[in-house]
Amino acid sequence: MTPSPFHPINLVLGLIIWALWFVLLYGGLSIGCAFAPPDAGDGAWTWINAASLVVALMVTGYLLTCAYACWKASSPSSAAKAQPLNTFISKTSAAVYLVSAVASLMLVLPGVRLPPCV
Amino acid sequence: MFGWFTFVLVVVVGLWLYAIRRAPEPVSKARARQVQNRWILWGGLVLPITSMAVILAFGVPAGHQMLPLPPAEGKALRINVTAHQWWWEVQYPDSGIQLKDELHVPAGVPLDLHLTSADVIHSFWVPRLGGKLDMLPGRTNVLRLQADEPGTYRGQCAEFCGTHHAHMKFTVTAYSPEDYQAWLREETVND
Amino acid sequence: MTNLSEEANCKREAQLEHVWGNLPGWGALAAVNHTSIGFRFMATGMIFFLIGGVLAMLIRTQLAMPEQEIIEASLYNQIFTMHGTVMMFLFAIPVLEGVAMYLVPKMIGTRDLVFPRLSALGYYCYLFGGVIILSSLVLEVAPDAGWFMYTPLSSNTYSPGPGSDFWLLGITFVEISAISAGVELVVSILRTRANGMALNKMPIFCWYILAMALMIVFGFPPLILGSVLLELERAVGFVFFETSGGGDPLLWQHLFWMFGHPEVYIIFLPAAGIVSTLIPVFARQPLVGYRWVVLGIITMGFVSFGLWVHHMFTVGIPQLAQAFFSIASMLVAVPTGIQIFAWLATLWQGKVVFHLPMLWIVGFLVVFVCGGLTGVMLALVPFNWQVHDTHFVVAHLHYVLVGGMLFPLIAGFYYWLPHVSGRMPSDKMGRWGFWLFFGGFNTTFLLMHLTGLLGMPRRVYTYEAGLGWDWLNLISSIGGFIMAIGVAVIIVDIVLHFRFGRRAEQNPWGADTLEWAIPMPVNAYNFSSMPDITTRHPMWENPELVESIAAGEHGLAEVQSLRRDIYGSDAVTGKVREVVHLPTNSWLPLMTATVLAVVCVSLLIKAYLIALAAAAVALVLVLRWSWENGAHPRAAPVGTNDPVDPPLHSRTCDGPGLWGMVVSLMANGTLYVSLLFGWFYLWTAAPQWSTPETSPLALIPLAASGILLTLAVMIYHGAVSRLRKRNAGSLGLRLWLASAIGFTHWCLLAWVLQTSSLQPTELAHDAVLTVALYYLLLHSGLAMIFTVLQALRVQRGYVGSSLPYEPIVIQPFWVYTLGVFWLSFAMFLLLPMAWGAP
Repeated sequence: MTPSPFHPINLVLGLIIWALWFVLLYGGLSIGCAFAPPDAGDGAWTWINAASLVVALMVTGYLLTCAYACWKASSPSSAAKAQPLNTFISKTSAAVYLVSAVASLMLVLPGVRLPPCV
Repeated sequence: MFGWFTFVLVVVVGLWLYAIRRAPEPVSKARARQVQNRWILWGGLVLPITSMAVILAFGVPAGHQMLPLPPAEGKALRINVTAHQWWWEVQYPDSGIQLKDELHVPAGVPLDLHLTSADVIHSFWVPRLGGKLDMLPGRTNVLRLQADEPGTYRGQCAEFCGTHHAHMKFTVTAYSPEDYQAWLREETVND
Repeated sequence: MTNLSEEANCKREAQLEHVWGNLPGWGALAAVNHTSIGFRFMATGMIFFLIGGVLAMLIRTQLAMPEQEIIEASLYNQIFTMHGTVMMFLFAIPVLEGVAMYLVPKMIGTRDLVFPRLSALGYYCYLFGGVIILSSLVLEVAPDAGWFMYTPLSSNTYSPGPGSDFWLLGITFVEISAISAGVELVVSILRTRANGMALNKMPIFCWYILAMALMIVFGFPPLILGSVLLELERAVGFVFFETSGGGDPLLWQHLFWMFGHPEVYIIFLPAAGIVSTLIPVFARQPLVGYRWVVLGIITMGFVSFGLWVHHMFTVGIPQLAQAFFSIASMLVAVPTGIQIFAWLATLWQGKVVFHLPMLWIVGFLVVFVCGGLTGVMLALVPFNWQVHDTHFVVAHLHYVLVGGMLFPLIAGFYYWLPHVSGRMPSDKMGRWGFWLFFGGFNTTFLLMHLTGLLGMPRRVYTYEAGLGWDWLNLISSIGGFIMAIGVAVIIVDIVLHFRFGRRAEQNPWGADTLEWAIPMPVNAYNFSSMPDITTRHPMWENPELVESIAAGEHGLAEVQSLRRDIYGSDAVTGKVREVVHLPTNSWLPLMTATVLAVVCVSLLIKAYLIALAAAAVALVLVLRWSWENGAHPRAAPVGTNDPVDPPLHSRTCDGPGLWGMVVSLMANGTLYVSLLFGWFYLWTAAPQWSTPETSPLALIPLAASGILLTLAVMIYHGAVSRLRKRNAGSLGLRLWLASAIGFTHWCLLAWVLQTSSLQPTELAHDAVLTVALYYLLLHSGLAMIFTVLQALRVQRGYVGSSLPYEPIVIQPFWVYTLGVFWLSFAMFLLLPMAWGAP
């Protein structure tokens, strides 16, 4: 179920997804380290880091699709709904999705270098 | 880092003041939009993101060295420190030495300080040796430090811990390896 | 003919004034008008600011020289704790709320906030709470564990006196006002904008306030929960933060900073809103990149919730987890950067007129950017380990808070002074004030960065000579006193201007927003008639609004049935949907707040029976308050001349009250989620977590009580569905039935609690469960009482097929109660069983 690109929920949905991802990442890391900690000597290439990287790519990909959908809806070619209010909502939402996508990906970047549980 | 940030500060403020002084010619709407977007894109997105990338590129490896990972060669010296309101209990598990408000360590050897607290939260900090780490009741945190040069270093509690927080201090004395062995012998004999 | 119509217009406005004005004399205490309440917030906040400032001067006096003994350690600890507490909780947030309450209705073209009695209640809770907290200082038992009250230092063992209780109870009391202001501002901005003011036409200030208000709604509950838990631990010995019973002191830090970091942005956003409002006015140029700035506001609102752990980098959290928060902390630089450069571009393209408020805006820029940059440095973990809890952090936070809040606030004060007084501020004296303050501020805090880098920790009442800190501290102290002189000059300037200021003309700064269409000084009802607004800059594009509004040419010009009427509009498009009738002056807020103050004080002196009785009285008062709504004779009794198109909101199925209910439940839900977080946190992270041998609760009766609750909600839901179709057949009966089943559920739940083997003073596990059960009992009890009242209102004829509104407002509360019940059942009981715990 995707809301119409002109629905105001889009203004916050991207960042809500980012926030949930953040909670999942932090919570998952804590639980992963509590129950199945990889050895500290293994460095960064552990199952925890790899899993978080994969999920991050999925979340980012989804957010980018949303950003693209909103952006396309606001382009002049789909002029049928090009009222200023609709354009405002869809363009701003596209930017919010984009920011969320970048932010979601950035969160896991230190995982390339740092071991998870120390 | 400080240099770069000072530079950013001066440039941003300078631009603002210039922008206030400036009396622009009227320009076309399209041109105005272009100028606006350029400002926001470069100043609002590119500048902070590149600054962050640079900082992280330096910062993450630097933080990595402070982790209590097994050192490349030799073994880290373990010392247990327990904080009390308002003094420090120091224990050497290898040699059984007990001290109060002072640490004696060999220079050039990595130290693993096992920190905990007997009452409230304290924080172990020797400003000239490195970062601080909190000492929590019921938990043990491990801080990796190394004194590169022999000498005396001031340390103090960095987390507010009650009335005499300001006076909760200690010293770290770092010796050359031979002097450290001498100190160690003397301490064990005294016991 | 013109004379006659002018006379008629005067009569019309006199009647508006009569309906909207405050009661004379002491009756002003019953005022609910947003202009009066907004003022009171600001004035009270400024008094607290001065008190906080005096405390700061005492701190600087003590630290001016090494090894001074002017103030001894225990008093010093009280002073710095109170300085932080007063400035954050009693000055910064309430003053900005006051500014928002005063301005928002005027900017969106309406006459009052949408829950006026709630504004008044919020104010009195703030006032009484503030007085209670400050009284501890007079009694010399002020809290002394630092403004973030870390346990176990603030626990019974290490802070046996009443100091921490003053903090916990007083602050919780004050927070009632923050949350009520948050709810009210959200709903007002979304639902009562001028006709046609779509989201993209909203003044940018309102976007900022909307974000701030939502952040209050989500940001404050964790602290409220933390305070309640800590007070329970202190007062009756429940285990939450004590390691021995399976608690964890770090839980407090998490809860505190989940509130504490968003709070910084709660303070910054409205101040940035002032900047975004003033810059376009003085640049004579619309704000560049409106959409960009909205993006920045939304991003900031979210991201600022993702960085609380950066206050806890030194507690020993895995470094990768720290890195997440480090990155999130740096991400905040992006929306900030967008705003700073949007302002720059606005100035770049406009022809700037330089007046006094602009001076403060430039001061803001310098100080805030500096604070922001040190903030990015602090987000870097290794650097943070070095300077955390030193004077570097003290300098940073003052740069951010004073730069990001006080400078724009004073700019705003000068800018809106003519609106309040009808007079212009003095340019000359104002400049003196600015330079003294700006110079003093930087003298105090710029070098303090160095003091911190040289290793001076914060919160020490004295220090040794000869560590290189002496001259730095002396200069900081001198700067502090210069700053104080600056504050004095500003205050004298503002006071004098009320007497000697030059008369201001209408819209003296040439502003674009709607508040300047109101006659100056301001009246009680703002807009004599309510215009349609379809532009972002109404006063630039339609300056004739001033006359046409005054002449009553727009909507709701005439008072109907002595009601306070405003428009309710669609949240997105701003199209008018209904006429919202607001309550008039009322003593109930003052009475409720007074009784709540009695609750607070009796908890402090541990007179729990009195506290319980007073809480019951408060509940009765609040219910009485809700009784005087809708078709009640004191609100909007059904009459023959009720407006039909648009209808009165209490005759519809959707109104601001429903929105208020949902937003309050969001705050409530955040509180509950914080409790869940605490549960999982302790479970996974507490060093000595343990569970009882056998389940302390009787599961089957508990499930049975849940089924009863489900049944009650289904019946209620059925009644409301029929009501929405305007079918009120057997409505009263259904409501009685729902309450009766709800009551059975409540009794069963209470029995389960009563017969349980919970040991909340021994085990953190049981303590959390106990709190969860009381939470459930409270909710289903309230839902039941609300429904009984609705059933009574059906009998009185206040609710019925043409008056379906109120049962619909209560419906989300039932649904929430049900959801929380089963979620708790799953999370607190089933999940641990599945995991293998008994």
